[in-house]
Amino acid sequence: MKTVGLTKIYGGRIKALDGVDLNVESGKVFALLGPNGAGKTTLMRILTTQIKPTSGEAYVFGLSVVREGAKVREMVSYVPQEMSVWTDISGYENLLIYAKIYGIPPSRRNKLIWEALENMGLSEFANNLVKTYSGGMIRRLECACALLTRPKILFLDEPTIGLDPSARKAVWERLSIFRKENGATIFFNTHYMDEADLYADEIAIINRGRIVALGTPESLKHSLGGEIISLEVEDSAFGSKVLEAIKGLDVVSDIIMGGNEVNIVSRDAEHSLPEIMDILRLNGVSVRRVSITKPTLDDVFLKYAGVRLEPVAAGRISEVRHVRSMIRRG
Amino acid sequence: MRGFMRNAFAMIELEMRRLKHDRTELYSRAVQPILWIAVFGPIMGSVRAIPTGGIPYTDYITPGALIQSTTFVSIFYGLTIVWERESGILKKLLVAPASRYSIVIGRAMASGVRAIFQALIIIPVALLMGVRFTPSVLNFILALLVIFVSSGGFAATSILVASFMKTRERFMGIGQALTMPLFFASNALYPVAMMPEIMQWIAHFNPMSYVVDAVRSLMITGNLANLPIDLAAIFIFDAVMFVVASINFRRIIE
Repeated sequence: MKTVGLTKIYGGRIKALDGVDLNVESGKVFALLGPNGAGKTTLMRILTTQIKPTSGEAYVFGLSVVREGAKVREMVSYVPQEMSVWTDISGYENLLIYAKIYGIPPSRRNKLIWEALENMGLSEFANNLVKTYSGGMIRRLECACALLTRPKILFLDEPTIGLDPSARKAVWERLSIFRKENGATIFFNTHYMDEADLYADEIAIINRGRIVALGTPESLKHSLGGEIISLEVEDSAFGSKVLEAIKGLDVVSDIIMGGNEVNIVSRDAEHSLPEIMDILRLNGVSVRRVSITKPTLDDVFLKYAGVRLEPVAAGRISEVRHVRSMIRRG
Repeated sequence: MRGFMRNAFAMIELEMRRLKHDRTELYSRAVQPILWIAVFGPIMGSVRAIPTGGIPYTDYITPGALIQSTTFVSIFYGLTIVWERESGILKKLLVAPASRYSIVIGRAMASGVRAIFQALIIIPVALLMGVRFTPSVLNFILALLVIFVSSGGFAATSILVASFMKTRERFMGIGQALTMPLFFASNALYPVAMMPEIMQWIAHFNPMSYVVDAVRSLMITGNLANLPIDLAAIFIFDAVMFVVASINFRRIIE
């Protein structure tokens, strides 16, 4: 999947996407991370051929989403952010209708539907009305619909929005199994930092329609300059000689001293700590306390986007309400 | 073409499965037409103020009440589409390998299925009220077909309205504003000739008039002289609405 200079302007004024260049290798799990309104959904809707970009190009498996939309649609599956199943029929019936729309031959239909239900752990609820499902079950049913056709690429827009932690985990466990078995590419949007960190092979951070950072979760964290070793020492013995010796280590990039506290910035804190301890001991410095701080994706986000992601708790309540009201309406 | 039929039938099946689980709407929507047939018809009939061409007034308005009911079901079918827009269902359908035409026409015909079930609830009540239907199975089946096909056209109109009025409230407003004028500016309750001149002119462009006339001639009078014109009008109405609604369908998710 590839985009070149993708731009989308709504109503001639609002720039939702501002020159997005992305390259996603097949078979990878790719997360697009950003706050609400950053352009995540717009990008996904262009990639799934729902809307046309104002300028720029996007390709899925080498097919242009603008000119070869019909072919793209045959290869992709998509789970929108909002609830996307019929609530007044059963889970099985939802899958049956989709199987028919996708033209799965009757001989294979039943087998594939039950496999998808089983994959998502919904077999025992197959014949219950979707109205009676919990939020997590509805999400899993939506994933089942998406997996039914064995897509080469799966687009998930905020796949675990409004779900409690155990339901989120369940959704991702099932998705991982599917990916291992079928080698599909998963492209997902999220504003949950931990979700991107845990499940993505690669992350792009998007803010105000621009990709501001791109890489594996590890490389993004490393890009902050490294991990910090904090030492509390007996001040008397810590002289310039010790300082120079520690600075001489390959992985150490900086030392900040403040009273009894010494902060050492290292690319690899766990491996450099024993060496640092050796140097200190040789020079007769006694250490009272040691701690290692590793940067989180939160810090990465803060650095590249210039803002923190909104507090998760506040976001969740409104999402749950949103999801609930959608279900009630059904 | 195979894909088109496949998708349209999937949409019809969806509607049937919905009805299987919950039929309350069918019953609640049957109340109004039954009131027309059981109360309004006999009372107005006793006045003998409306020239019906020699048939009892209740018999005369039975097709009108029937079509009013099935048309209203179709006119409000767009609400389903508005709900599916608010949820993510339409987005997902538009990412599926299904053409806009197959989705719109499939959904419209699904509404036609609903309309037939609606008619099948009302007709026995009319029989109980002593309405005399033409004793012809063929005419009866043809009448149901007319109801099915015309409801599709009205549902397509409704889907078109839904593409512009994207919220339930606005849609309800337009829906209410459409239904009563359609009903009163038609031959459902009185012959077109009795209307003021302007209304007559409107009635000639009102698809409901042709549907009522077709069903009335098939089910009640047995006089099929106007049937070809009625069918042609319904056919043109359907074709135009199917095309216009399909062309505008993508607008609904933008």
